[in-house]
Amino acid sequence: MMLDHAAIRRILPHRHPMLLVDRVLTLESGARIEALKAVTGSEPCYAGLDAVDGPGFDYPVSLLLESLAQTGALLWLHSAPGNGFPLFGSASDIRLHGRVRPGDVLRHLVRLQHVNAGTAMFGGETWVGDSRVLTAGSMFAVIRPDIDSRPGDRPSAAGPILDSHETGDAT
Amino acid sequence: MTQVTNPQLAELREIAAEVLEVEPEELTETGLFGEEYDADSLRAIELLARIEKRFKVDIPQTELPNMIHLRATYDVVAKYAGWS
Repeated sequence: MMLDHAAIRRILPHRHPMLLVDRVLTLESGARIEALKAVTGSEPCYAGLDAVDGPGFDYPVSLLLESLAQTGALLWLHSAPGNGFPLFGSASDIRLHGRVRPGDVLRHLVRLQHVNAGTAMFGGETWVGDSRVLTAGSMFAVIRPDIDSRPGDRPSAAGPILDSHETGDAT
Repeated sequence: MTQVTNPQLAELREIAAEVLEVEPEELTETGLFGEEYDADSLRAIELLARIEKRFKVDIPQTELPNMIHLRATYDVVAKYAGWS
């Protein structure tokens, strides 16, 4: 299944400029997801930078990890929809293999490793073209059910929220 | 029950040390996770999730307050995993 940007916004509470997933290419519920995030020179993290050559325009690793983690959260929340606020817990066994610059399109591959009672663990990789730039052995997230995460443009969380917005079945 | 050579205890120690970001040998059996190793509630939940994943066991979050140190954690896991 594929999710467009509107569908992503129905699942994740994150908003501009911290919504770091653009499109879901494939999603296998409860198992794996493949999603894209395009990095551009107009990202807020590059604001104020002049024509600096060198590492100034490397996309920050923190945002790279956040984008990968949001992809994992999409997989988790799509597989088990409900109320609550997803919180990033930890990441371990992280390896950075390359750098990301404006113009690159990140392709995140995330697999769900373990889900139970408001917690999830997942691992994944990020690719740019045919180069792997990041490997995450294990990330951990929790749902805080006592925080209503739903922004104004999100419909009622009662029932499956995606039915009318899924765009085909690419898997 | 908790002998140093117990392989399950050794594995629990590895998991807890990773979550608490200390070396396994620094983690004593009765050192309090919160007071002595600066664990917050998120770390505690992470520890529970990693244990569940590793040992393929379901442990209710209501047991979290009992998992105050390594030995107590072992006892909780033993109860749900059926370790004798």
